[in-house]
Amino acid sequence: MTAAGAPRPFGAFVAASAAAGRLVVQPRMGFGDPGSMRTGLERTRAATATTVGTLTIDSYTRVGDLAGARAALAEGAGLNGYPIATHPLDVTRSLLDGLHDDHFPVQVRHGSARPQAIVRALLAAGLDATEGGPVSYCLPYGRTPLRESVAAWAEGCELLAAGARPGSVPHLESFGGCLLGQLCPPGLLVATSVLECLFFAQHGLRSVSLSYAQQTDPGQDEEAIRALRRLAGEFLPAGVDHHVVLYTYMGVYPRTERGAIRLLEASARLAVRAGVDRLLVKTTAESRRIPTVGENVRALETAAAAAALAGPPVPAAPDAGSAVYAEARALIEAVLGLHPDLARALPAAFERGLLDVPFCLHPDNAGRSRSVIGADGRLRWSDTGAMPIRPDAPADLAPLTANGLLAALNHMADRYDRPPADPVSAYRRPATARALPPTPHPRHEQEPAMDHAPQPAGPALPPPLGEHLRSPQLRAAMLVQQEALQAARDFLRGSGFTELLPPLVGPVTDPGGRGAKALDVDYYGRPYKLMTSAILYKQASLHGFPKLFYIAPNVRVEPEETATTGRHLVEFHQIDVEIAGASREDAQEVAAGLLTHVAEHVWTAVPDVLAELGRQESDFADVRSGKYDVCTHHEAVSRLLTAGHPQSPDSEIDWTGERLLSLESDRPFFINDYPKGSRGFYDREDPERPGVLRNFDLIAPHGYGELVSGSERESDYATIVTRMRESGENPAKYAWYLKEAHEGIPASAGFGMGLQRLVRFLTGLDSLWQVSAYPKLPGVMAP
Amino acid sequence: MKILLSGTASDSHTWNLVYLGLFLEERGHDVVALGPCVGPRLLTAACRRHAPDAVVLSSVNGHGYRDALAAVRALRAEPELAALPVAAGGKLGIAGRSGETEAARLRAAGCDAVLGDGAGDLEALGAFLAARAQVAA
Repeated sequence: MTAAGAPRPFGAFVAASAAAGRLVVQPRMGFGDPGSMRTGLERTRAATATTVGTLTIDSYTRVGDLAGARAALAEGAGLNGYPIATHPLDVTRSLLDGLHDDHFPVQVRHGSARPQAIVRALLAAGLDATEGGPVSYCLPYGRTPLRESVAAWAEGCELLAAGARPGSVPHLESFGGCLLGQLCPPGLLVATSVLECLFFAQHGLRSVSLSYAQQTDPGQDEEAIRALRRLAGEFLPAGVDHHVVLYTYMGVYPRTERGAIRLLEASARLAVRAGVDRLLVKTTAESRRIPTVGENVRALETAAAAAALAGPPVPAAPDAGSAVYAEARALIEAVLGLHPDLARALPAAFERGLLDVPFCLHPDNAGRSRSVIGADGRLRWSDTGAMPIRPDAPADLAPLTANGLLAALNHMADRYDRPPADPVSAYRRPATARALPPTPHPRHEQEPAMDHAPQPAGPALPPPLGEHLRSPQLRAAMLVQQEALQAARDFLRGSGFTELLPPLVGPVTDPGGRGAKALDVDYYGRPYKLMTSAILYKQASLHGFPKLFYIAPNVRVEPEETATTGRHLVEFHQIDVEIAGASREDAQEVAAGLLTHVAEHVWTAVPDVLAELGRQESDFADVRSGKYDVCTHHEAVSRLLTAGHPQSPDSEIDWTGERLLSLESDRPFFINDYPKGSRGFYDREDPERPGVLRNFDLIAPHGYGELVSGSERESDYATIVTRMRESGENPAKYAWYLKEAHEGIPASAGFGMGLQRLVRFLTGLDSLWQVSAYPKLPGVMAP
Repeated sequence: MKILLSGTASDSHTWNLVYLGLFLEERGHDVVALGPCVGPRLLTAACRRHAPDAVVLSSVNGHGYRDALAAVRALRAEPELAALPVAAGGKLGIAGRSGETEAARLRAAGCDAVLGDGAGDLEALGAFLAARAQVAA
């Protein structure tokens, strides 16, 4: 700690990280509730990355409506950020206590054209870093007149510069590199960032950062960041500490998890390549809702990993021919030419249209400029209004339509959501290479090609077992698991089921599907199998136990390529249920009731543990209220084909397809009617529709995928034998089971719910190994 | 038809408004765009000044239910605006899905159409305005 308890200055922390070759990553995270906010900061701090914490302020406080923020808090309405000026000071202080220190700076992010109340509140809480700007937090954010915003920001800067604790160096980041988030050509973004930081320096700040938001073309972005760094050096007074901060794409964000992760990773690589010191990340939930803590942490770790893998930065080359540099410089000089005092020059520049933000509806913006995404993917000016720069788009463009605007706004989301056209080997940029020559759209030269495998965002492999067993995360998962088990037993016993303990080895086991194999054991000289599932025993038990269940350990030797799906363990457990005389719909009702009851119980019994893991009540709203959707396998395949995913209509939904469907959904859903041949011989064929099975999967929402597999069972002896032959099984191996079937097995339906998959869904963790005390991943040797 | 297009009190987003402005103009409507962060008082004043045939409120920041409710109540409290057709849409809640209870409350307060942010909702907006245009004609 430095003098008088002020933690290491924000700028110094970033500079030290840069010197150590580490990109600082930072979330945009804000919760109304202090407990959730603290959890968010704790988990940001604990992430496997060099992080800075964020308090994002709610939008009532942002527009100065403190009464609105208070009322929303009082009536328990969810706020979309932390109301720093509304919670009592000691609440905010204890929120930061023990977290905000030399190793973990915390920045306040808001969006206010009148920042004084927020600056006073953050200073009072012992903070000294924030962001915004007189232009960038005015024009895109509401109706405050620009002159008032400039005056308010001048005062805000002076408050911040003067009000911090001794030993601190208050830091202010310009949001000027973002403006409306998308469709602004980089020259204007760079100019605004430089002008705002210069304004900050004119009002007493000695440490600033210049922002740039990722746009549509990696080459243009790299050029813009280099221009920003050069212009900062040329225009900021000597002695003003500064660094460049990059924002992961701020426009319409990809809707698929795969697309969202790819775009985030592309921004991390851009940051490293262009010499950026800090990155503000986006999450995979961005397009749908306010992200959870867990999603934020995953985004931080994903970005940090991508940055670490990007290799050393490319050495700066002369920017002699940079169009972005020339454009930005022309804009800056035009503004400074009006008056050296930017508090006077900036409003005058907008009044004359020397600065003119495209698509900005603010009354003080001239609104004459327009931009397009060029055929090469670069942002270009179609109209520059009165700005001292020239349009660089083709002159014969058609007028902008609503659909044209929508296509431009969705350009990046669509591009990143699209599956890669053809498999390409992962691209590695040679360390000495300079910008590649222009290539036709779509271009992927700075993005490694993605395969179709799911991409768990967290660490792919567990740490050594001892470390794993000591981790707080595993402890939390086990607390959730024991509650889930108790709830499952309560629910099933309360519904008249009897719990049996399943066998571990037998002469034959479930032949299964999807390439999993059974493990052989030498049983007194006979080749016995470890149970892949006890389905055959469940059916055989029905005479004595018409409603039964196991908590069954299973061993499946899964293909090695499933090790990184996050969804496969060799050793796992199922809640295995069977009901004599039941239909598929009966079994689905039990499965849905079971899931709803477990979610309800866990959320009631250990809400703190779930909150600490970043789960929110809203994540379970549909599960707890029992809202489940249903579709058929055929419909699921059609949806995937429409979305461009090559799903075969004759087989299981593949892992990626299942993940895509799951990501699209906010509530759990059943997939019915898998085609014969995709499942085991015991799934009953629909007598009305040959080739279609009376079976189902239950898929969890938000990308968590399959939780349950079940079916009506085939109980007719002759049909079982035929189905065994059809599926290539040797009936002779199943002698004991066929003898039972010959004597008559009751008709039934049942299912298995994967226990670890259930706990993963409840906890929101990335991988099954994180919810298993002794994880064994396919192909990985483990104790 | 003259349409007053507006954001809601706490919502500073504008792309939704830029898009809706183009969308409504292409359908032959005359659009008065108030822009973002329009509180109830500014909204009612603008409605009295411009005398629109319908009001379209768009919100995507998660406070839409709450803000639109205040806006609609303010409009309905003015006798000359009590019958003015009002549609509210966008991402109105923070949970990622529309809340049926909040939507019902919004309708009960006098909002004529509560819409989401999908393609079907745009069609519904078009149909809502077309129906009002027929009534007006």
